[in-house]
Amino acid sequence: MLEVKDLAKHFGGVKAVDGLDLHVRQGEILGLIGPNGSGKSTTVNLVCGVYPATAGTVWLEGQEITPLPMHRRLTAGIARTFQNIRLFGQLTVWQNLWMAQNAPDHVREQGFFARWFGGQARARASAMDYLDFAGLAEKADELASALSFGEQRRLEMARALAAKPRVLLLDEPAAGMSAAEIETLDERIRRLRKGGLTILLIEHHMELVMGIADRIVVLNFGRRIAEGTPAEVQADRAVREAYLGTS
Amino acid sequence: MMIDFLQSLVDGVLVGTTYSLIGIGFTLIFGVMHKINLSYASASVGGAYCGLLLVGAAGGKSALLVFLMAAAAAGVIGYVVYLTCFRFIPASHPLGTLMSTVGMLLLIDEIVVHATFGVPVAYPPLYEGPSIELGELYIRPDYLMVFAVGIAAMTVLTLLLYRSRLGLATRAVSQQPVAAQLCGIALYRVNAATFVVTGVLGGIAGAMIGASVGMLSPLLVLPLTVKGLIVTVIGGLGSIPGAIVAGLMVGGFENVLQYYRGVTERDLYVMLLLFVFLVFRPGGLFAAKSERN
Repeated sequence: MLEVKDLAKHFGGVKAVDGLDLHVRQGEILGLIGPNGSGKSTTVNLVCGVYPATAGTVWLEGQEITPLPMHRRLTAGIARTFQNIRLFGQLTVWQNLWMAQNAPDHVREQGFFARWFGGQARARASAMDYLDFAGLAEKADELASALSFGEQRRLEMARALAAKPRVLLLDEPAAGMSAAEIETLDERIRRLRKGGLTILLIEHHMELVMGIADRIVVLNFGRRIAEGTPAEVQADRAVREAYLGTS
Repeated sequence: MMIDFLQSLVDGVLVGTTYSLIGIGFTLIFGVMHKINLSYASASVGGAYCGLLLVGAAGGKSALLVFLMAAAAAGVIGYVVYLTCFRFIPASHPLGTLMSTVGMLLLIDEIVVHATFGVPVAYPPLYEGPSIELGELYIRPDYLMVFAVGIAAMTVLTLLLYRSRLGLATRAVSQQPVAAQLCGIALYRVNAATFVVTGVLGGIAGAMIGASVGMLSPLLVLPLTVKGLIVTVIGGLGSIPGAIVAGLMVGGFENVLQYYRGVTERDLYVMLLLFVFLVFRPGGLFAAKSERN
């Protein structure tokens, strides 16, 4: 589904990502973990095209997307959430989702004029489906900046889903959340997988990622140091050393 | 005495809508690009000229047609300004953009001077008719028309900005450029649309100035640029309601001073007003909340 081949990103002399290979299979949740600074977020940014890769390629369903600019990657089928929340604070909750309705489906359904100058009712109805899923339906008309932290995280996810992606990148969705919130997050991600969505999950919260991911890739210093099921990865010596230091 | 004061105030406020429109244009582009487009007033006057020259060349005489062509031409000029001054100049060179807009200001000005041999040209009034009497006040119908068109343009703009997906996208882009692009919004298209829309707005303002003065002259460009900037500062950079109120205020203020102190002296006081605001209320009347979060 989503493939990363020999991907590299160097910031000056710092090799944030260095020859990374990654393969997210159709319908699975791939957990991407690693210590701080191991290149997880850089990988996500490269997949989304936030900055150009120094080397390597990114493929989606056998099609190379490396040369595509940021806004075309969503059209190609990739949507993401942000570790540090990036909502449109001065827009209402449902309008945040409206902004993301740029998938080929949306373009086909609505004409150019209706898309940019009209068609609020339809856009809102379709946004409400995702707000229901994220438990934000009754907040639809509030400003995004007025939401609580946990709600903003949920809105990030709803906005990404509103783009009807085929691959969803979740960048530390549990960061700063309470145990109860993480539990509902866990349940939501499982529902997404059941619905057939392919997910790349970057997460620090081990309990969540170990419980939910089908496979896990461990990064350190921008390279893959282990790959396998959660059980295999947890038993891996290199992984323990990366997290706990060599003994 | 009192009635003269009121008369000049009313006339000034009515024509002040053109300043409001120019101020809105400056403010909108600043809101989206976080940069000042100094060529804006020049492009607006240029658009007004284009409307007149295009309709004239086609043998037409209709004031309405001139007006519509001015708006359309200014929209096109807006797009050209975006391409030449913003699109391809890297964001890491903010001065490059600023200087290129100064260059564009002068370029448009020179083109106008060349095309009209530097001679002022007559501009058709949008509406002619008897003055409306309000007690002892006379409301000039052409001024009233300017005011009405200005208010209509502002209403349409506000609806566009706050109700349409295009308007919301421009605000999304200015708040969160990266997230907006990852939502599938093409940054450069939304920015280009902003320039076209503000260009149309400027063309309307330019044509209304021509219609209310009765003629167009390249000499209008510099004062209009300065007034537009003053309106933007007084209203609060980035604030549309601020630009509207400040435009009407500056219009009324300068016309009253013109009545009492004469046309050559009035702008001195307008400049002083600017400094009063910069010292006592640097954020302007409606200091815009930063939309970038």
